[in-house]
Amino acid sequence: MTIVYLLIPLGAILMIAAAAALIWAVNSGQFDDLEEAGRAILEPDDSPDPPPR
Amino acid sequence: MAAGASSFAPTASEADGVGTAADLASGAPREAYACWSEEVGSGTGPRSHVVFAVEGMRCASCSQAVERAVLAVRGAEQATVNVATGRAAVDFDPRETTLKAILAAVAASGFKPVPLAGEASARAQRAERHGMLKRLGLAGLGMMQTMMVVDGLYAAGHHGIDAHIAQYLRLAAMLIATPVFLYSGAPFLKGAWADLRRRTLGMDVPVAIAIVLAYAASVVNTLRGAGEVYFDSVTMFIFFLLTGRYIEMSVRHRSLSAAEALARSLPATVSRIRADGARERVSVQAIARGDRLSIPRGAVVPVDAVLDSPSATLDESLVTGESAAISRQRGARLLGGSVNVGDVIELTAQAPVADSALATLVGLLERSQAQRPALSRAADRFASHFVLVTLLLAAAVALSWLFIDPRSAFGATLAVLVVTCPCALSLAAPAAAAAATTRLARCGLLVTRADALERLAHIDTLVIDKTGTLTTRRPAARVLEVREGLTASQALALAAALERASDHPLAAAFNPFDDPAIPVTALREFPGQGVEGSIRDQTWRLGRFEFAAALAGAQPAPALDSSQAGALYLGSTDGIASCFAVTDSLRAGARRAVEELQRLGIESIVASGDREEAVRTAALRLGIGTSIARLEPVQKLALVHDLQSRGRQVLMVGDGINDGPVLAAANVSCAMGQGSAIAQAASDLLLLNESLAALAEGVRTARHAARIVRQNLLWAFVYNVTAVPLAALGWVQPWVAALGMSASSLFVVLNAARLARTARRRPRAAATTGPDRPADALGAAG
Repeated sequence: MTIVYLLIPLGAILMIAAAAALIWAVNSGQFDDLEEAGRAILEPDDSPDPPPR
Repeated sequence: MAAGASSFAPTASEADGVGTAADLASGAPREAYACWSEEVGSGTGPRSHVVFAVEGMRCASCSQAVERAVLAVRGAEQATVNVATGRAAVDFDPRETTLKAILAAVAASGFKPVPLAGEASARAQRAERHGMLKRLGLAGLGMMQTMMVVDGLYAAGHHGIDAHIAQYLRLAAMLIATPVFLYSGAPFLKGAWADLRRRTLGMDVPVAIAIVLAYAASVVNTLRGAGEVYFDSVTMFIFFLLTGRYIEMSVRHRSLSAAEALARSLPATVSRIRADGARERVSVQAIARGDRLSIPRGAVVPVDAVLDSPSATLDESLVTGESAAISRQRGARLLGGSVNVGDVIELTAQAPVADSALATLVGLLERSQAQRPALSRAADRFASHFVLVTLLLAAAVALSWLFIDPRSAFGATLAVLVVTCPCALSLAAPAAAAAATTRLARCGLLVTRADALERLAHIDTLVIDKTGTLTTRRPAARVLEVREGLTASQALALAAALERASDHPLAAAFNPFDDPAIPVTALREFPGQGVEGSIRDQTWRLGRFEFAAALAGAQPAPALDSSQAGALYLGSTDGIASCFAVTDSLRAGARRAVEELQRLGIESIVASGDREEAVRTAALRLGIGTSIARLEPVQKLALVHDLQSRGRQVLMVGDGINDGPVLAAANVSCAMGQGSAIAQAASDLLLLNESLAALAEGVRTARHAARIVRQNLLWAFVYNVTAVPLAALGWVQPWVAALGMSASSLFVVLNAARLARTARRRPRAAATTGPDRPADALGAAG
């Protein structure tokens, strides 16, 4: 059963990583607008064409 | 993150962008509107009215605490706070206090006042959502980990487990559960602490006691190295309860009215055309009367304005509820809040943002959403005793079980603390009212008083005024006779061209038929007789018979019956070409509205001060059997009283200007209005797009809302009455209790949210109708 001495800290580290990823995602606004990003591809592109080479 | 929203905490002393009431009253900083919807009444003495959002309210006791805090401020005269919409409305005397002092009082009572619209409000909402997501995420992850760890202890069961490993598992569970307890559980702990400091019992109190008890007992047992730990229960409680709150929050954020959503969608800047023709970008708040603006396709017209471009296509659905796109001609008045769905247009601003139709609308809606319906006040009183009863009951349960079976005492007490749900009770009515208000605002019926919805559900009689209500005040021209070789529409177009430059009231009747392609020269007006003009080298006259006929020399007067006495004639050198009647026009959709109301079991009565014949004709065309004409306002009032004495519940629809006392006497009053004039109408309901069609929808929604309130109250009652005894008997595991409590308040909120869900029909630039939608003209002259 000594394996739990390793596995539980590993689980805890995994949890910390997941929590950190979630906090980063929330803070950087990933969940702010869940619809616009999907629609954006359909909107006309108003940036000018790249200059011809 | 929430810098803007918290800038008016009591500690912030400097001017911080939030205008004081006095500033707003004097109209100085217009920018302030974006944050605080406020108006100054014209009653006795100066009185300011302000509506704002309050964050952190959970239950009835919270809203009562905010009300008390505000009323403790000297000069604050009235405060109503609605917990379901998170709105507070305050009336105060600007000579005695300031908006800032009131906001500071709210903040000092432990809640956060937030502006309703604009950037600061959006930021506050975003901050709230971010915080919730992070708390929820951490609680979920922590819950899974704790469960796995504690599972080892459970699995060992009677077989025993190595003491080292058991202690290791307890310590690991404690380490994982502690951040969840401190961070994710903070809203409950803080809420309960604030409640206790105010010496009230909010619904966070039992929950927080349960969480703290379970956590503290587990920590003690862990440090002792023996006994049971409940870390899994702690994390699970927090996760379930947070999930419930997160969904509640989403519903609250989404239930923002259409008008408020629009207030948010106002562009930050707009392109202004300077006198020299150059364009500059200015802030929307900087727009002044007389500014010329250019609005691109797809953008919102920010203020009430007059169109300078030859024509425009607009979607006014957010301001009036009218879903079809509307075309407007040069010189037409555009409502702030319309969306330009046609080409680029130029216009001249008629009012700053704060005085535009949109601002008025948002203000009215906010005021009603801040009020609390009577039913909800009763439920609140009940709910506030409920928490005390729960705590006493939990203590009793703990004591009893200690005598019966000390091992079950802890679990049963936790279950009783967590399972009760006073929230479902106090959210039942206001959640439904908020959802119904939002839905009706979308179809053009504005509920200005929270109580009106409850009363509207019981209406069985409609008393409706004719002029300005069933019929428009705008006259419409109708062809009675036309000379051979000329079609009716040609005749109307000719007459419209002649009336083009006239500002006589009758000229408006022809406006919808005007065809700019017809050139008119040498226009002359003969006061009291008519107009003359030259179209394609022929002289035409429009006016009284003698005047129009004079061009062709003497003519025999036509034989006409008396109903055509007010007719207008179109004549040229060839003689009389056509004869028109100018009459009231029936409102579009009036007939269908009456039919729908009939199907809902509502009897309609036309009560008008107009002539017998005109009233009867209008009633007949609408399929209304009962019509009463030549009524003085006093007699109308008597009619309403008479109906009420016979047990009828009367909905009175009037134009809101002449019918004041009658409207006030009816059980529910409804006024017609458009633009900023609606603010003057003191009625329970406002029909925004001057169409009666929304009335039937209003009654249907009100009845639906009443049904939902009944369902919600029944559910909350049955849930609490069954769950509490079961928990006290120890038959409900604490985790089931947490799940049940969250599910119970979610049921109430989601059940109410069904009301707001409507098929969103927003056909962009669909069938384009004329500016006045020339409705079927009435037979009798108005």
